Amino acid sequence: MRTLEDSRLTVDDLIAWLVRFDDEIVEQAGFLTELDSAIGDADHGTNMARGTAAVRVRLTETPSGDAGAVLKSVGMALVSTVGGASGSLYGTLFLEMAKSVGTASELDTAVFADAFRAGVAGVVARGRAEPGDKTMIDALQPSVEALSAAASDGVPLAESLQSAAAAAAAGRDATIPLVARKGRASYLGDRSADHLDPGATSAAILVQALADSHAERTR
Amino acid sequence: MIGVVVVSHSERLAEAAVELGMQMVHGDAPPVRIAAGADGRFGTDAAAVAAAIDDLADSPGVLVVTDLGSAVLSAGLALELRESTTEVVVSGGPFVEGITAALVLAATGAPLGEVAREVSAALGAKAAQLEPVPDAPVLAPAPAATAELPLSADEVLVNPEGLHARPAAMFVQAVGGYDALVDVTNLTTGTGPVTAKSLIGLLSLGAKQGHRLKLDGHGPDAATAVSELRRLLADGFGELPATAPH
Repeated sequence: MRTLEDSRLTVDDLIAWLVRFDDEIVEQAGFLTELDSAIGDADHGTNMARGTAAVRVRLTETPSGDAGAVLKSVGMALVSTVGGASGSLYGTLFLEMAKSVGTASELDTAVFADAFRAGVAGVVARGRAEPGDKTMIDALQPSVEALSAAASDGVPLAESLQSAAAAAAAGRDATIPLVARKGRASYLGDRSADHLDPGATSAAILVQALADSHAERTR
Repeated sequence: MIGVVVVSHSERLAEAAVELGMQMVHGDAPPVRIAAGADGRFGTDAAAVAAAIDDLADSPGVLVVTDLGSAVLSAGLALELRESTTEVVVSGGPFVEGITAALVLAATGAPLGEVAREVSAALGAKAAQLEPVPDAPVLAPAPAATAELPLSADEVLVNPEGLHARPAAMFVQAVGGYDALVDVTNLTTGTGPVTAKSLIGLLSLGAKQGHRLKLDGHGPDAATAVSELRRLLADGFGELPATAPH
């Protein structure tokens, strides 16, 4: 039997998500950099790891505040430490989510889905990328759609997050045959095909970390 | 003067580009801030760009010039993160040529819009020098003449190097001091007219030693401006080997 608390993300849940994200990024930094060395400048893993480490320090060493404050603090930490396009784009994702949730202290599935949608819309606007351009959008956009659909169907939060993570993973895998049209990989033209996109891969890790950390905390 | 913020993945790249551009500025230079690197590495940091813009909050406008792709993303995000309200334009112009064009024109006190247009067109000079030119850049049309009578003059370029960057910058500065617009046409090649306020436009004339230039002045100070430009031309911009009085 689910309790009411299980259907909402608290500030502590958000912090647990991002700590989990840091764990996963640290573990997969080598893999991300390897992906990036094929079609980019071989720094995505180290850049992301530097960013998520800064996020962890900021979230665990300073008082947390409301959900908006936590998400904003995450965004600013990423902007200042990741560098390059990933810093601005991941930063924008969290800064737009922060604006969307405002001063709430708990987010139900629908509110979180709306915030996630606003964040991804911010990334699309900032990067001028569309689905199919072989970017993080290819993982994030289907994930947003899955989460919104689950929210409007009244699916419980845990299952909604799992379907969002599954959609992100499917979107990530679908980047393999694509030819990059945005970012550094676009300079490679057709040679960017047959490679998994590093940005879509880290974005899928982000959504999976949320599903996993939530499942762990409500087990 | 408007301010210039240089956004680059590399501090050294930004410093060298600004130093190179400053070679063309004689006298007071516009305020420049550099936001380069992220966390001590190659990269760009939107928060640092926002701080650089805020630092120039007292300027009547700020032009942001960027290097590679993600510098544009950071500059865009910086516009949301900044606290000041000065008008800001993020330029899509080329880095080295754009910084040089921005510094030269901003030093004359030109407004933000004018400097931004100049920087956007800053690849034109390089493209015009390459032969053959498959898609010749369209030169910016000369500004509309004012009601005053046009005032024209012809002069032959005597200095060995022709109208290269240094003399072109002297042109921009000379005209910047007058309430006048001067159009310059290369009669020998039929290129132009371009405005003498545009470093990039002047360079795109491809004017070499022996080419005949036509100057058309408009505005209250046109006579003085044209005669000052004629003096510079006749003087070979101080570049004549033995006879230069400069």
